[in-house]
Amino acid sequence: MSRRVDKPPKWLDRLFGWLCRSEELEVLRGDLYELYAERLAQKGRAWANFFYFFEVFDLLRPFALKRTRNTTQVNMFKTYLMVAYRNVINQKVFSFINISGLAIGLTCFVLIALFIQDELSYDKFHENSNRIYRLVENFESEGVGEHSASLPFPTGPTLAGEYPAEVKQQVRFFNFQSPTVALAYKEANKAFNESRFFFADSSFLSMFDYALVQGNPRTALDNPNALLITESMAQKYFGDEDPMGKILEFQGQQPLQVTGVLADAPLNAHFQFDFIASFSSLKYWYGGTLPRTWYWNPCWTYVLLEHETDATAFEAKLPDFVNKYFPDFIREDVTMELQPLEDIHLHSKLDYEIAANSNINNIYIFGAIAVFVLFIAAVNFINLSTAKAAKRGKEVGVRKSLGSKKSQLITQFIFESVLFTFIAIVVALGLVALLLPAFNNLIGKSIAFGTLFQPQFIIGGIAIGLIVGLLSGIYPAFILSNVRTVSVLKGERLKARGVQFRKVLVTAQFAISMFLIVGTVVAISQSKLLLNEDPGFESENVLLVPVIRSGMGQHYEGFRNRALQSPYIKSVTAVEEVIGEKHQVNNYQYEGMDRSKPFPRFFVRHDFTETMGIKLVAGRDYDREFVTDDTLAHVVNEAMVKAMGWGSPQEAIGKKFYHRNELMGKVVGVVEDYNFISKHHNIGPIVIDLNTMPGAFNLFIKYMAVRVDGENLQQSISDLDKAWASVLPDRPFDFFFLDDRLKHVYAAEQTLGTITVIFSVLAIIVACLGVFGLVTFSVERRTKELGIRKVLGIGNAQIIGLVSKEFLLLILLAFLISIPASYFLIEAWLTGFAYRVDLQVWPFVFAGAVTLIICMSTVLFHTRKVAKINPAVTLKYE
Amino acid sequence: MKSTQLGEFEELVLLIIGALGDDAYSISIKNEFKTKTGRNPSIGALHSAFNRLEKKGFLKSEEGGATSERGGRRKRYYTLTAFGRKALDYAYELRSSLYQTLPNINLANE
Repeated sequence: MSRRVDKPPKWLDRLFGWLCRSEELEVLRGDLYELYAERLAQKGRAWANFFYFFEVFDLLRPFALKRTRNTTQVNMFKTYLMVAYRNVINQKVFSFINISGLAIGLTCFVLIALFIQDELSYDKFHENSNRIYRLVENFESEGVGEHSASLPFPTGPTLAGEYPAEVKQQVRFFNFQSPTVALAYKEANKAFNESRFFFADSSFLSMFDYALVQGNPRTALDNPNALLITESMAQKYFGDEDPMGKILEFQGQQPLQVTGVLADAPLNAHFQFDFIASFSSLKYWYGGTLPRTWYWNPCWTYVLLEHETDATAFEAKLPDFVNKYFPDFIREDVTMELQPLEDIHLHSKLDYEIAANSNINNIYIFGAIAVFVLFIAAVNFINLSTAKAAKRGKEVGVRKSLGSKKSQLITQFIFESVLFTFIAIVVALGLVALLLPAFNNLIGKSIAFGTLFQPQFIIGGIAIGLIVGLLSGIYPAFILSNVRTVSVLKGERLKARGVQFRKVLVTAQFAISMFLIVGTVVAISQSKLLLNEDPGFESENVLLVPVIRSGMGQHYEGFRNRALQSPYIKSVTAVEEVIGEKHQVNNYQYEGMDRSKPFPRFFVRHDFTETMGIKLVAGRDYDREFVTDDTLAHVVNEAMVKAMGWGSPQEAIGKKFYHRNELMGKVVGVVEDYNFISKHHNIGPIVIDLNTMPGAFNLFIKYMAVRVDGENLQQSISDLDKAWASVLPDRPFDFFFLDDRLKHVYAAEQTLGTITVIFSVLAIIVACLGVFGLVTFSVERRTKELGIRKVLGIGNAQIIGLVSKEFLLLILLAFLISIPASYFLIEAWLTGFAYRVDLQVWPFVFAGAVTLIICMSTVLFHTRKVAKINPAVTLKYE
Repeated sequence: MKSTQLGEFEELVLLIIGALGDDAYSISIKNEFKTKTGRNPSIGALHSAFNRLEKKGFLKSEEGGATSERGGRRKRYYTLTAFGRKALDYAYELRSSLYQTLPNINLANE
C-alpha cells in the first residue's frame, strides 16, 4: 500500500495554493490538513473529500485571497459581471429557461455518467485484476448443454500443477450449489440461513485484494474449519463482542472458528460474500478428501497468470488439458476458456453465475441517452443564447460609439455565456446531490457524491462548461462586434442571421426526442412482455423453501403429508433449481444415439407438473404407484421430441433410453414446453427426471415448491411453518415466492425501462423549453409584421398558422430523419432477445404525435397572447 | 467607546481565546467553540473573525513551531491584547448592568 493515505485531493490543494495569499497559505493549509486527517480517520475518504472541497472554498474569503495587481483588468471584469447581471434581470424568463434547461440536461448527464463509471469499475480494485481469469467450461453437443462458470473440483489445482510456468495461483469457490446454508452461534442462540457463504482456497487472500481487518492474511485460511466473516456479519452474530476465535456451527454439525474479519465486500465486485470458509473444511463432508470427479462441476475457479503469460497462447493449451484429464464420455463435448475477471460483470452471461451480472448493452444505451440529453440541452442553450444576442444590437452600437474595443465586446459575450454555463453546472451539481439518494435507490447502487471529486469528472465538467459556453458565445460575439455602429443606432434591425444553423439544431433536437420516445415505448413493452407473457407454468402462489443439506431428505414424505393436512396447502413437490431460472445438465443416451450426450436436466419429486400447472401433452406424469419410475421412466418436453425427431409427442412415448449402452427405461410422458430458464433464451429440450432418493436432498434437490391458497396466504405460511417445525425443529424455516424471484431475472430490463422513461421525459422537457424560447424569439421579431398584417385584416387563426408553419416543417423533417434511424437501432437491440416484441407502427406515430402536440401547444400558448395585442401598441413606435 | 463594539460571535471567539491561554490556535478554538456552545463554526468563518479582530487590535498572533501532524506546517497562535481584554470587560459590564435592570420575577415559585 504505497498510496498517499492521509493527503487530500491534489488538485484542490493546488487550486488553494494558487488562490490563497502567500502569507496566509501555510497556516491555512495546515488547518485544512489537520481537519482532513481527522475526518479521514473518523468517517472515511469520501466524507473527508466532500468537506475538504467546501472548506477550501469557504476559506477563500477576501482576507485570504490573493490581491490582484492589474486594476484595469479587474475593473473590466467587474463591468462584464455587472452587464451579465443586468442581462439576467432584464430577461428573467429567458435566462431562467436557458439556465434551467442546461442544468437539467447536465444533471441527467452527470447521474448517468456516475452510473456508468460505477459499472465500469467492477472488479478493477484488485491490484492484479488484469491478470486474473475465471475458467469457463463449455459442455455441449450440437448446441444443447451448458456454458458453465464453474468447474469440477480437481480442475484448479491440476491446471496450476500442470502449467506452473504460466499459472501463478488458483482459487476455487464452492457453496454446495446451495441457495442458503444454516449457520448458528450456539452461545447466544442465534441461527440464520445465509446465502453468501463460500468455501475458498487459502490463496483467496493473496490473489484478491479484499481487506482483512483482523487476523493474519497469510495463515487465516490455512487450517480446516477456519472461517472469515465480514464486519457486518460479525455485528449480526456477535454484536460488540470480539469475533476472533468464536465458533459458528455450519449446517448444524461442523464447528467453524473465526480466524479473521474481512471488510465488507466492495459493491463494485461481481463476487459478493459474507463468509469465507477454508477449502480444507470441505473434507469433513466428503469422507476426509475432496471430490475427485471430473464430471460434476460446482467450483468457480479463478487463476492468476504470471506477468509474462499471454492469455491467448495459454488458452490454446487448454484442449490438451481437457483431453488429458476429463473422462472419456464427455471429452469431445468439453472445451475450456479463460474469461478476464474485469469482463465478468458486463459481458458474462454463463450458466451458474455466482449472481446475475449486468449487461454491456445497457451501458451503451445509457451512454447514448446521456449524450443525447446533454446534446439537446447544449443545443438549446446555444440556440437561445444566439437568438437572444440578436436583440442586443443597440447595446453594442452604444458601446462601440463610446469607445468599446472589438476585443472587449467579444470578451463580454463569451464571458457571459461561459458564466451562464458554469452557473448551470453549479445548479446541476446541487440537483445531483439532491437526487443521488433516489437515483441510487432506483438503480440499486450506493454511489457517493464524493465520487464526483475525481480528476476525470472535474476536467470533464470544466471542458463541457467551456465548450458549451464558447460555442454559444462565439457566434453572437463575432456577428455583433462587427455591426456597423451607425446603422444599428439609426434603428435599422439586425438581419436574422444564423437562422439556418438554428433550424438544423432544432431539427436534430426533435429527431432525438422522437427517437427517445419510440425507444422508451419499446423498452417498456419489451420488459412487460418478458415479465407477463405466459411462461407455460403458473408461478403465482408458489412458495419455494430452500432445503438442500437441511436433513429434509429423511423427512420429506412425513413433511408432505403433514403439510397437505392443511386445507390451504394445495400441493407439494421438490425441485432441483428455481423453476424458470436455472437447470442442471446430465448425460443421457436415447434410442438412435450411439453415445450419451449432455441434456438440460431438472430433478423433481412427484407432483411436479401438478404443482407448477405444467400441461401434459402425451403419456403420464410420474406416479407413486410405479415404484420403478425413479430409474426406469423419463418425462421430457416437446422441444426434446422435436430435437430427437420423434415425430409427435404420442410417438415419443415408449422411446427407450440407455445407461452405459444398456437399456434402462422408457419415456413415459411429454409436457408442453415451458420457459425453464429466462425468456432471454429459446426453449430447448429438457429431461424432467424423478429423483426420490433421500440423499438427493444433499446434492441436487435444493427447494421444495409448495402451491398454496392465494386467498389465505398468512394461514398457509403458518401451517407450512408448523409442518416444518414438526420435522426439523432446529433449523430456521425460510421461504420466498417464486413469482417475486422470477422478477429479478428481468431486473436489468426493468431498470432500463425506468431509466429510459425518466431521462426521456427530462430530455423532452428540455427540448420543450428550447421550443418555447425559440417561439418567443420568433414571435418577438415579428411583432411589427404581425401588427401590420392585423391592420390589414388577418385573423387570429391565420397568425397562429403563420408562426406554426416554420415549426411544423421542422417537425416533419425531424420525423423523416428519426424514423429509419430509430427503426434500425431498436431493431438491433431487440434481436438480442429470444422473446421480443415486434416493432409496430404505433410507437412511431405516437412519438411523432407527442412531439407535434407538445411543440404546437407551446406555439399556441405563445401566439395567442401576441394575436390578442392591439396592433396600435406594437406599431406606434415607428 | 464606539470602536469596541463586538458581535456575539466575535465576543465568543475572544473569550475562548482568552480561556485557552497558550494553546489558542484555529483548530483548538474551533473544537472548544463546539464543546462550549454546541455550534460548529466553519474554519473560514473563524479565520475571517481572527483577521478582523487582529486588525481592530483585540488580538495578537505569532507563529509556532512546525509539527508533523499538519504535514509540517506551522500553527498560528493567538493571544488577547490588553485592549481586547478591555473590550471584553466593557461588554461584560454593559451586559450585567443591563441585566440588573430586568424586573425581578421569581419563576421558581410557580
